[in-house]
Amino acid sequence: MTFALAVFCVLAAISVVSAVLMIVQRNPVNSALYLILNFFSLAALYLTLKAQFIAIVQVLVYAGAIMVLFLFVIMLLNLGDDKRLREHLGPKAYIAIGLVVALLGELVFIFSKSRADSVVALAPNAGQMGTVEFLGQVLYTKFLFPFEMTSFLLLAAIVGAVVLAKKKLQQ
Amino acid sequence: MAPLNYYLLLSAFMFCVGVLGVAVRRNAIIVFMCIELMLNSVNLTLVALSSFIGDPTGQILVFFVMVVAAAEAAVGLTIIIALFRNKQTINIDEINLLKW
Amino acid sequence: MLAQILFNLAFIKPEIALTMTLCAAILTDLLYKNRTGLVAGIVLGGFAAAAIGLATQAGLSVSVFNGALAIDPFSNFFKMVILACSSFVVLFSLGSNEVSAMKSRQGEYYALLSAMALGMFLMVSATDLLVMYVTLELSSLTSYILSGSMKAQKNSSEASLKYLLYGAFSSGVMLYGISLIYGLTGSLNIFTINTVLAHGGASSPAVLIAGIFLLVGFGYKISAVPFHFWTPDVYEGAPTTITAFLSVASKAAGFGMLMRAFKVVFIDTGALGTPGAWSLLHGIDAQSILIVLSILTMTLGNLVALWQDNVKRLLAYSSIAHAGYMLLGLVVLGNDGFSATMLYFVIYMFMNLGAFYVVILVSNNTGNETMESYKGLGARSPFLAVGMAIFLVSLTGLPPTAGFIGKLYIFAALINAKMVALAIVGVLNSVVSLYYYARVFRNMFLRESTGETSLIPISMPTYALLLILLVPTILLGLYFGPLVQFAQYSVAMFGIK
Repeated sequence: MTFALAVFCVLAAISVVSAVLMIVQRNPVNSALYLILNFFSLAALYLTLKAQFIAIVQVLVYAGAIMVLFLFVIMLLNLGDDKRLREHLGPKAYIAIGLVVALLGELVFIFSKSRADSVVALAPNAGQMGTVEFLGQVLYTKFLFPFEMTSFLLLAAIVGAVVLAKKKLQQ
Repeated sequence: MAPLNYYLLLSAFMFCVGVLGVAVRRNAIIVFMCIELMLNSVNLTLVALSSFIGDPTGQILVFFVMVVAAAEAAVGLTIIIALFRNKQTINIDEINLLKW
Repeated sequence: MLAQILFNLAFIKPEIALTMTLCAAILTDLLYKNRTGLVAGIVLGGFAAAAIGLATQAGLSVSVFNGALAIDPFSNFFKMVILACSSFVVLFSLGSNEVSAMKSRQGEYYALLSAMALGMFLMVSATDLLVMYVTLELSSLTSYILSGSMKAQKNSSEASLKYLLYGAFSSGVMLYGISLIYGLTGSLNIFTINTVLAHGGASSPAVLIAGIFLLVGFGYKISAVPFHFWTPDVYEGAPTTITAFLSVASKAAGFGMLMRAFKVVFIDTGALGTPGAWSLLHGIDAQSILIVLSILTMTLGNLVALWQDNVKRLLAYSSIAHAGYMLLGLVVLGNDGFSATMLYFVIYMFMNLGAFYVVILVSNNTGNETMESYKGLGARSPFLAVGMAIFLVSLTGLPPTAGFIGKLYIFAALINAKMVALAIVGVLNSVVSLYYYARVFRNMFLRESTGETSLIPISMPTYALLLILLVPTILLGLYFGPLVQFAQYSVAMFGIK
């Protein structure tokens, strides 16, 4: 077991455990904190894949902006009361668990049958590919159009969020 | 270095955990967080494939998925706030004015 | 580099017009508060500019921005349908009480309508899975917001939340499918994917799973069964103008994207067949999946509509059934099937928008949308009742209305491809749909009104708008030659012979 493989196993274990704990917590604040732990472990996994830019952006955007927004909203709604947080799991939950286990089995099956088994080493240009310069080069030449389009996506999202959330002070 | 298969299996497991969370949980905010978990598992798949194939397209797609996830989180949380103001609950079971 | 960008910009004039409309609408709403007529006027002007841009692109077939978009007759056709639908919805909104109740937020409503139109325009042009995902999300996000925009109503917020959760989940699953296809083929461009799959990659089970995940995303957008669960609740809870917009334009954009992805990715370019018909890549039985999907969609849509009491919910299930009929056009795997679906979209636009406009006018007057409020409509407003009757007859598919012509071409394409059983299923479903359309008909003409009995006043602009929707519904049932020819000409997609 090489050092790299050991690092991967530790990070994978943290990801898996925090993901599972996230979906079983009753209190949404606990769920959010476990999800943040999951995001940090994913960022570390991106570093093992030599994708530095994505790792940093993961921490900044997901753990730093999106999860903070989630926590703000959870605190704003003030759902701390244990009685309100109780959820009723009917028999449908067991059907759902069965279907999801089947889905996982299918995905494991197709990964084991594909050529991915034989790919063991990172591509030789992986380190150079993960840098900001290289990704910026590709983003602004080959993917310029989707980049400009996402600016309109963000504009529409901002306008829409204000439309829905703003409380009218006077009619 | 872990082989590609290990990364793909890890992300498949996280994706399935996210799908299970969306199907089982009744609290709207936690369902939304499970959707974010699903999107992150897709991100991991894409970055792993991109690094092992040597093609930057996967990492660029991850960039766009993060942008879309941020916009969706903003809009989604606003909708949850608007719903809470109207109904004082975010339990999906209790939000059933519209039925069959 | 810059020269290439400027060269490419010349081809997306309609989209540029829409983006400038979006920015102008937001700025105008900011500077001139509470002048919603002005904002609506700017949005309509922008749509007119986009229409002029579309007309200048009539015969082009190019790929722009490094393979991100394709400007071809196929996308042009769908863009015209989407633009017409958007213009009608803006005109509906000017006369709708629900929208006027939004007071200071009306300006943003019209701005978001133009943002949604922009997203749909880009969806039908996309030739890259990344662009498809981002544009799908653009139109979906604006739909979530617009369907929740009647903040005072609990139904609206609930509809918006359900739409959001279903939509985000479906697009997450679709994204996983996109990542699997990226892993299998190394590219996100649909032409490259087709080339790689044709060289022997198509028979692995991974492609099937990835295809099914992609279908979850597409199926959510066109509300095919079993991805339709959001449709009735969202259509019932959203403002009726947005329901009308979603039922026609959103479906058109979803179908345009699905048809392009399906045709380009899964056909076998090496196989020689009769011109106009094509064969699928070996290993993926996409045709069977589509057949099952279309039968489920038609049947469930028609059967559940039978016991609906709310007219908006009834029309929601009827639009699910119509999506099933349109999917039949895809099953044929030939150009005549595609052109039949495209023809059906134009006809569907007129009749569905007409039906929803009558719902808007009746709810303006009575304040609700149940079947009860339609009782005695024949006496209270003969014009509205007769108009609604014509739209419902067309939705059923009876001659001499245009709905009959739309269904005729789809069933003819099926029979030509030797799939007579499917055509019979389609006809049986149309017969079932007659029952629930006839319920509204009966309430309007054969029942006394249980509420008010006063005449409903209709202003001149309302008359004009209803006539603009009524005349094509009848005219296209009698004189449909040019439209059919245009649809057949527009099947040509970039990169495919």
